[in-house]
Amino acid sequence: MATTGTVHQTKWWSGGKSPFNMEYGKLMMWYFLMSDAFTFGAFLISYGSIRFSQNFWPDPNVVFNAFPGAGHANLPLAFVSVMTFILIISSVTMVLAVHAGHKGDKQGVIKWMLWTIVGGLAFLGCQAWEWHHLITGEHAVLADGKIEMIGQTMTGNPWGNLVEDNAALTAALSNTSHETLVSLVQSHDHTHSAKELAAMSDAQLKGMVNLAEMHVREKGPVAFGGYFYGITGFHGFHVFSGVIINIIMLMMAQKDVFAKRGHYLMIEKAGLYWHFVDLVWVFVFLCFYLI
Amino acid sequence: MSNHYDPTKDISPSAAYPEVSFHHHTDDAEFKKRVKKTTILLSVVTIVELAIGLLIYNLHKGEVNRDFLILLFKGVVCILTLLKAYWIVSIFMHLGDEIKNMIMTIIVPLLLFVWFIFAFIYEGNSYKNLRNTYDLHFKETTTPAKHHKSDKADEKPVEKSGKE
Amino acid sequence: MKSSFHGTEAKQKNMSEAINVQSGAAHVEHHDAHSHGHHKETFVSKYIFSMDHKTIAKQFLITGIIWAIVGGLFSVLFRLQLGYPGQSFPILETFFGNWAKGGQIQPEFYYALITMHGTVLVFFVLTAGLSGTFANFLIPLQIGARDMASPFLNMLSYWFFFLASVVMISSLFISTGPASGGWTVYPPLSALGQASSGSKLGMDLWIVSMALFVVSSLLGGLNYISTILNLRTKGMSMTRMPLTIWALFFTAVLGVLSFPVLLSGLILLLFDRNLGTSFYLSDIVVNGEILANEGGSAILFQHLFWFLGHPEVYIILLPAMGMVSEILSVNSRKPIFGYMAMLGSLFAITILAFLVWAHHMFVTGLNPFLGSIFVLLTLLIAVPSAIKVFNWLTTLWRGNIRFTPATLFAIGFVSLFISGGLTGIFLGNSTIDIHLHDTMFVVAHFHIVMGVASMFGMFAGIYHWFPKMFGRYMNSTLGYIHFWVTMIGSYLIFWPMHYQGLAGIPRRYLDKRGWVSFNDFPELDKMITIVSIIVFAVQLMFVFNFFYSIFKGRKVTNPNPWGANTLEWTTPLRPGHGNWDGEIPEVHRWAYDYAKDGRDFIPQTEPIGENESKH
Repeated sequence: MATTGTVHQTKWWSGGKSPFNMEYGKLMMWYFLMSDAFTFGAFLISYGSIRFSQNFWPDPNVVFNAFPGAGHANLPLAFVSVMTFILIISSVTMVLAVHAGHKGDKQGVIKWMLWTIVGGLAFLGCQAWEWHHLITGEHAVLADGKIEMIGQTMTGNPWGNLVEDNAALTAALSNTSHETLVSLVQSHDHTHSAKELAAMSDAQLKGMVNLAEMHVREKGPVAFGGYFYGITGFHGFHVFSGVIINIIMLMMAQKDVFAKRGHYLMIEKAGLYWHFVDLVWVFVFLCFYLI
Repeated sequence: MSNHYDPTKDISPSAAYPEVSFHHHTDDAEFKKRVKKTTILLSVVTIVELAIGLLIYNLHKGEVNRDFLILLFKGVVCILTLLKAYWIVSIFMHLGDEIKNMIMTIIVPLLLFVWFIFAFIYEGNSYKNLRNTYDLHFKETTTPAKHHKSDKADEKPVEKSGKE
Repeated sequence: MKSSFHGTEAKQKNMSEAINVQSGAAHVEHHDAHSHGHHKETFVSKYIFSMDHKTIAKQFLITGIIWAIVGGLFSVLFRLQLGYPGQSFPILETFFGNWAKGGQIQPEFYYALITMHGTVLVFFVLTAGLSGTFANFLIPLQIGARDMASPFLNMLSYWFFFLASVVMISSLFISTGPASGGWTVYPPLSALGQASSGSKLGMDLWIVSMALFVVSSLLGGLNYISTILNLRTKGMSMTRMPLTIWALFFTAVLGVLSFPVLLSGLILLLFDRNLGTSFYLSDIVVNGEILANEGGSAILFQHLFWFLGHPEVYIILLPAMGMVSEILSVNSRKPIFGYMAMLGSLFAITILAFLVWAHHMFVTGLNPFLGSIFVLLTLLIAVPSAIKVFNWLTTLWRGNIRFTPATLFAIGFVSLFISGGLTGIFLGNSTIDIHLHDTMFVVAHFHIVMGVASMFGMFAGIYHWFPKMFGRYMNSTLGYIHFWVTMIGSYLIFWPMHYQGLAGIPRRYLDKRGWVSFNDFPELDKMITIVSIIVFAVQLMFVFNFFYSIFKGRKVTNPNPWGANTLEWTTPLRPGHGNWDGEIPEVHRWAYDYAKDGRDFIPQTEPIGENESKH
C-alpha cells in the first residue's frame, strides 16, 4: 500500500509499460495458476456433482481415522491435520525464501528453500502412507450374501451403510471363506496367532466372531475411491512437480545464477506455484475430509 | 536485413523487464510480523475446522436427526476455508500488494465458479431424483436404512459455494 | 490517390524518425545490447525451432492448412456415402482396403471419418490454425512489440501442437482405427473398449493428443494475454488497439479458462477407460455381460466437455470476427462503426460463452428447470451478436469499398454469420430443440455460423496479411474464383440441410434408405455431395495459390499496400526478428482514422495535429 502515491500519477494503461507493474513471467504464472484452478475446480465440482447424485456417501471421519503406529485406534482427522500443517508450514518457509530473495540474501534463500523442499517431501511421504493404508486396509463388507474383506480402491469401497441386521450377518458367515473368517477373528481377537487361527475349523472360527464388534458394512459408492485417488493424486503430482521445481531453484541459487542476474524473481514464481499447491490442498481438505 | 533482436538476450539480466518501473518494497520487520500473524491465523482456523469436523462426526453418530445442525456446521467450515484461501492468496502470494486492476483480473474470472458450481451440483441432485423415481433398484440398494429412514430427502448437505 | 499515399508515407517516416530521437535516449543502452547480439542463425534455428513469432505463425498456418486438407478430404469421403449410399467406388478400396470393402465405406470407417473431420477441423484447423497463426503473427506486430513475451514458450506451444498432430495422425494408421465416437467423445461409447473398434487404442491416442493440444493452447494463450497486457508500445492504450487484438485477447482468455476443464474431463475419461473407475459409467450391459461400474454419470462428462465445448465455439469465431472488423474498415476506407460497442460485445460474448454450455444438452436428461435458465442465457448472446453485425454493415455502408479477395471473404463472413446466427435462435430454445436436435438442421447451423464463417475469416486474414507474411501478393484472380465458388458452394451445401433437418432427417446416419421417413431427399443429398466435391477442389486451388505465391507471387514494393493505419505496416517489407529496425514506433491515435479531415488514412504513428477534428 506504500505504492498508492505512485498509482495516481502513472497512466498504467497508456502502453510502454506493464499496467500491473509486473514482469511478464509473473503475470503468466498468475494466469497459469488461474487456469490450473479451473482444472482442480472441474475435478472438485465433478466430485460434488457425483456426490449429490448419490443417496449415500461415506462419512470422512470413518474413512480417515488411522494414524501411523497407532494400530486400530480410532483417530478421525488426526493424520490429515498433520499433513495440512506440514503444507502450511512449508508455505510459510516459502514466503520467507521469497522474502530473502527480495533482499538478495542468497544464504537465506537457500536455507528456506531447503526447508520448503523438506516440507514437500514430508507431505508426499504422508500421502504415500495414507494411500497405502487405505488400499491395503481390510474392512469387512457384506456383499452377495457373504462377508468379504476389501480395501479402499478405485473399484471398490468398503464404507457403505453399517449392517445392523444380525440375522443376515449370521447367515452370511456360513457362506464366508476360511481366509476371511480368519482375518475377521484376527481383527478383534489378539490372543491367538495367525497360524493358530488358520488351523482352526470354520465352525470354531464362527463361534469366535463377535458380530457386535465387527462393524460389517455394505459396499459404498465406487466413485468415492476414484475421486479420492484421482484428486489427491493430481494434487500430489503438483506437490511432486513443485518439489522438483524447488530443487532446481535451490540449485540455481546455490550456483549464483540469480545473484548474477541481479534478482531472485524466479524464486518468486516458484513460490507462487508452491502457495497454489497449498491453496488447492485447503480445498481438497475441505471437500474430502471435512464435509 | 538487420537482426537486432535476440530473445535470449532480452530476457537476460541486463535488460531485466523494462516494462516494470518499480518493485514493491516491504519493511523487513513489519513483513515478518505479518507473516507470523497469518501463520497463526491459518493454524487457528485449521484447528477450528478440525474441531467442527469432529463435532459433525459425533452428530452423525447420534440417533436423533440433526441434519440441519450438520448442514450449518458444514457451511461454517466452507466459509472458514474461503477465509483461509483469502489469507494465502492475499498475504502469502502477495496479491494484496498488487495494483487493484491486477487483483481484479484474478478475482473476476473466479466468479465463473458460482454458476459452474451451482449448475453442476443442481444437475447432480436432479440426476439422483431421476434415478430414485425411475430406478427402484438404485433407490433400494443405496438409500441408508436405519435412523435416516425417517426423512427421505436426506442429501449430504454440502454447502454450494464452498469450492473456489 | 497513389501520390497521396506516398506523401503520407514520407511524412510518416519523418515523424517516426523524430520519435526515435525523442524516445531513443531512454533506450540507448538497451539498443546497444542488441546490435552486438548478431547471433548466428542456422536453418534449424530460423525455420524449424524458431523463436520468431512470425515464423511460428507460419508454422501454425502451414500445419493448419495440411490438417484442413486432411479434414476436408474426410468430409468429401463421407459425403460420398451420404450422396451415393450403396454405390461402389472401387478406388476407395484401392486406397483404404478393408475400411472400404467392395468400394463402399464401412460403418466403422464412416464414424471414424466424421469423428476425425470434427476433431481436426475444430481443434487443429480452426483453433490452432486460426488463432495460433494470427495471434502469433498479429499481436506483436500490431501492438508494437519485438516478439511475444516469452518467445521460448511460444515455440514450445507450436511443438506441443505438432506433437499432438503426430499422435492424432498416428491414430489414423492403427488397425482398429482412430476414435469414432464423434468429436464430442461421449461416454459410455468412448469409455468402453468393447463398445466399438474406434473406442480401443484410437480413443486413448485421441485423449493423449488432445491433452498435448491443451498444453499447446495454454502456452500460447498465456503468452498472448501477457504480451497484450505488458508489451504494448508507448501510446498504445487498450482502447487504441485494433479490434483484431481485442478479439485475440478474448480468445486467449476463453482458451486459458476453458481448456483445463476439458483436460479434467479427459483425465477422468482416461481413468474410466484404463483403471476401472466409474466416473461416467453406471448400469451398463455389454453383450449380456453386466459391467461392475456403478454410480457414475454420463451426463457429467457432457457437462465437462461442453464447459470447454461452448467457449471453444467462440475461440474459433472471435479471431475471425476481429480480423473481419479490421479488414472491413481498411477496405471500405471508413473507421469501424462503434468501436466501443464492438469491444463491449466481444466482452459480453466472452462472458456469456462460459454460462451457456448446457444448451448442447437439452435432450440428454438435463434438468428442465436448469435447461430453462440455459435457454435464457443462450438467447442473450443474440444481443452482442446483433450489435456486431449491425456495426459491420454500418462500417460498409457508404464506404469507398475496395473489393479485394480479403474484403469479399470478410463480407462473406458477415453473411454467413447472419444466416447461421438466426438458426441459432431456433436451437437455443429447448422446446424447439426437442424437434430439431440431432437432425441435419444442427449440422447446417453450426457449419454455417462457426465452421464456414470462421474459415471465411481465416481466408480473409490470409489474403489480407499475406503480403506482410511473405512479401508477395497472392493471385487475385484465383482469389476471386476461390471466393465465389466457396461462397455459393457453402450455401448450396448447407442451406438445404435446414429443410432436411426440419423434415426430421437425423444426422450421423450411415444409410437412410432403410427408413421410409428419412429417405425423402436422395437427390438433394446427391447435389450436396457434388457441390462439396467442387468446393473441396477449389480449396485445393487456394492451397496451390498460397504455396505458389510464397515463391512466385507478385512482389510487394509498397510497405503499406492496403493503406492501413495499424503498426504492422510500418515495419520493413520483410521484417527480421525484432520487427522494427530502429526503435519501436510510438502510437498517438486509435487504429481507425480513415477518411478523416479529407485524408484517406492517418497511421497510428502520426501525432494528433493541432487543428484535427475530434470524433
